[in-house]
Amino acid sequence: MQENKNRAYQIKKIIIYPVIILLPWYLIFLIGNSIEESQIIIKDSVIVNYKIDTLPSVVDHSKFEVLKQKFDSPKQVTEACVSCHNKRHKEVMASAHWTWDRESVRPGGDTVRYGKTNAINNFCITATSNRWKCTSCHIGYGWKDKDFDFSDYKNVDCLVCHDTTGAYEKQPLGSGFPVEEKRAFTDKTYFPPNYNYIAKNVGKPKIENCGKCHFFGGGGDNVKHGDLSSDLYHADKDMDVHMDEGGTNMSCVDCHQTERHNITGKLYSVSNDNNNRMTCKKCHTGDVHKNNTINRHTNKIACQTCHIPVYAKGTATKMIWDWSTSGKVDKNGKQFKEYDSLHNVTYKSGKGTFEWATNVEPEYVWFNGTADQYVPGDIIKDTSAVLKINTLFGSYGDHESKIIPVKIHRGKQIFDTQNKMLIIPHIYGHDSTAYSKGMDWNLAAKAGMKDAGLPYSGEYSFISTEMYWPLNHMTAPVEQSLKCIDCHSKESKLKNLTGFYMPGRDSNVFMEILGILMIVGTFGGIIVHSVIRILKAKHIIN
Amino acid sequence: MIKLQKIDKIIRPENNQTKRAYIYKGFERFWHWSQALLIIFLVITGFEVHGSYELLGYQRAVLYHDIAAWALLVLIIFAVFWHFATGAWKQYVPTMKLVKAQINYYILGIFKGAAHPTKKTSYNKFNPLQRLTYLGFKVFIIPLQVISGFLYMYYMYPENPIHIERLDIIAIIHTFGSFLLIVFLLAHLYLLTTSESPKESFVAMLHGWEEVTVDPEEEHREHLQYAVDKSIAGYYRLDLDGLFISVNDAWMELYKCKERNNIIGMHCSITRNDKNAKRLNGMVSSVLKGKSLRGVYVDRKCFDGTIGKHILSMNPTFEDDIIVGVEGFIIDVTDIHRLQEQMYHSVRNSEAGYYRLNSKGYYEEINDAWLKMYKCVDKDNIIGKHYSLSRTIKDLKQANEIFEKIMKGETISSMIVTRKCKDNTTAQHILSANPVYENNKVIGAEGFIIDISGLEKDI
Repeated sequence: MQENKNRAYQIKKIIIYPVIILLPWYLIFLIGNSIEESQIIIKDSVIVNYKIDTLPSVVDHSKFEVLKQKFDSPKQVTEACVSCHNKRHKEVMASAHWTWDRESVRPGGDTVRYGKTNAINNFCITATSNRWKCTSCHIGYGWKDKDFDFSDYKNVDCLVCHDTTGAYEKQPLGSGFPVEEKRAFTDKTYFPPNYNYIAKNVGKPKIENCGKCHFFGGGGDNVKHGDLSSDLYHADKDMDVHMDEGGTNMSCVDCHQTERHNITGKLYSVSNDNNNRMTCKKCHTGDVHKNNTINRHTNKIACQTCHIPVYAKGTATKMIWDWSTSGKVDKNGKQFKEYDSLHNVTYKSGKGTFEWATNVEPEYVWFNGTADQYVPGDIIKDTSAVLKINTLFGSYGDHESKIIPVKIHRGKQIFDTQNKMLIIPHIYGHDSTAYSKGMDWNLAAKAGMKDAGLPYSGEYSFISTEMYWPLNHMTAPVEQSLKCIDCHSKESKLKNLTGFYMPGRDSNVFMEILGILMIVGTFGGIIVHSVIRILKAKHIIN
Repeated sequence: MIKLQKIDKIIRPENNQTKRAYIYKGFERFWHWSQALLIIFLVITGFEVHGSYELLGYQRAVLYHDIAAWALLVLIIFAVFWHFATGAWKQYVPTMKLVKAQINYYILGIFKGAAHPTKKTSYNKFNPLQRLTYLGFKVFIIPLQVISGFLYMYYMYPENPIHIERLDIIAIIHTFGSFLLIVFLLAHLYLLTTSESPKESFVAMLHGWEEVTVDPEEEHREHLQYAVDKSIAGYYRLDLDGLFISVNDAWMELYKCKERNNIIGMHCSITRNDKNAKRLNGMVSSVLKGKSLRGVYVDRKCFDGTIGKHILSMNPTFEDDIIVGVEGFIIDVTDIHRLQEQMYHSVRNSEAGYYRLNSKGYYEEINDAWLKMYKCVDKDNIIGKHYSLSRTIKDLKQANEIFEKIMKGETISSMIVTRKCKDNTTAQHILSANPVYENNKVIGAEGFIIDISGLEKDI
């Protein structure tokens, strides 16, 4: 009896103890697994508060008599539009698309008028003094010089945004007008538009309407933004999850919602305040991730940071523009161009050296929604340092700031060494002072600064500049978004953002050494102690 | 049952007695191993989060680290509750006694093969260094890690009222804590090898049983404490001046005392009449000289004014061999006394005869009435004689049957029998008989007898 009882007890013991110890672990494993299922494994569910507008147009423009007349010029079309939409032109003419500038308050408190019309960048540098070329993207007709009448509604170009046929096109170097006769420019031929056909088919702007200008800023496809290129006309999921033709197939205005011609969203190369912005949160509401740790990251990290891991996924974007190397001629004394293997221009006599890149990994900065720009006439404090043409404000300690991805366009451009100002050069024109023709910086600087009403000392040099382009497009499918380890490691993508502690990337050197010493010391103590014990034990036995 | 047998079996009759005792309770072991595994797991995932290596993948490491942290927190809450509910916290009360000896042992004695300066007993599982270390572990490292860990998780939670600007201090403290844990773990494992039998000590943490030294004094103290608390005997302890230091619940009840504060610090004479108080003082002073009293019969004065009867013991209390007071137990005999007295008188004065037989049927006790009924003069003639003496031959058979029945536990309430008196006359009796018990065993029979001879005639 007793024997049996003891044996039963032994067996019970053998079964119970592993169960006691393992069961809680098994439970933890189960819980952990289910949490992991819900938090790590990507599921094909999209939490979005968005519905595409599929209702048909409320009117049929082809039935309107006023659009059946014969149009000789685009301005007549505008008159026809305004004859019915008789207040819309006022909305358009109040928008930055028309004015190309707006009132903005600078950090010091100065209020200035600033915008595309007087901005300096480190691409083609400025619209001032080169207007007739740049204004081919203005939503108006005939802005070729200072005398353009901003108050004449007939100058408004309705069709560039509302043409749905694709038949309407402004010509390059045409101050915003379409061609009147058939014209070939570089490798493309432009035809006079059929205004009646176009006017009968007006509608909501499509990707093509916006892209026509916004994808080609800087004089070519994807030159400026890096995340806005002609690739978005027909994007697949890898290019942009939102504009994926096989998926949600959204167009620009689905996000950039517009109330009375005021379009949400803006770019911090030409604006500096934190309003009228587009945010992901408009549609992606609530806790967007299943993993709460990741949700907490949204306090400090913008959505774009993880979800736009690379930009310029198709067409190359310009990364560097060095004006200082311009002016070379070939052995015939003629201007020349050089190309890379992808037919991107890498050198042009009248422009300098370019560098291009595709599938670029963004750089990252803190940003709180406010910015400042170099306004023509600003004195450069340190001409030996890199000049930030636009500065994005933000820091780790600022509660409003988040880390955002940016394209930084680096350049070298002309400045006045005496007056310590960036020079507005006259680049384009038919006259010899235009740099692209005469390639004389002194003449170009003189003419350009005169146009701008700024002094020029006659002495110039080149200064390194940077422009910050926040990235908001070319959102990647969720599998391609950044992983924890991309930032939380010694080779962090954020290694340039210092001044705060990030797990996995940072450690305190003193604490690391102390810790290693503690562990090594303990091990050492154990080894020494046990060696003495063993030796002494032998001694005692002997 | 099994557990008890185990203890019994192992006790060895040695001077340095050991016994195999169940020293690690089920929850304790579960807590120990779960905590160990959780901490090791937290260290592994934690250092991956720290960027020291890649193992599970960063996101998994963070997720598992968080889950394990919550699990550990739950475990800690249970453990804290357990420690207080069971009184196991007492094992961790630090003592500086023998700390030096223990350190000396580790840095010198162990090499010379010296004996451990402290013994592991059921009530003192840890040596003084262990007490200090484990206490430090519980009140310093664990809270450090829990607090810094939760700040780490929630330092920038938007709804968080304490929005901390910088993570670095929190992270550095948390890292420091994890280094401490590693050092603790290494030292803990190494010091296991300094135990007399490392393997047994390790296995003991699995099944709970370990050979521990028996410290008779400690055993006595621990058992006694329990016994005193639960006893129905009153316990009291006085200091050198005869003032109450401590009494147990039973004491309070005996003296009808409702508030402990009414008695602690009072002089012991409060429970006595003036006359008795002198006697008590005498007793106390003699005990303080080293004498022990047992079984003293005294009158008490209760708090409600009633008088009671007590039997008390009194012995000196020692601290480091010096008498520091007296203590003793009190048994209330008031009711017992009265009952016995009544019984005595009722039996003695009764007209009914009383008898008691032993298991063999011999007379052990009879009263005067019995003697009178049987016309005997001397008790001694009867005591020690068999009951057959008082029966007719015809009646003897019946008497034998009755006796056998009684010895089997039956009770006879009234039976008419014929007796044979000493003077050879016979008479009719009604008798009762019931078994006499001792430790649940029938050791004899007793009963009363009423003479109905005259009654019959009257009828």
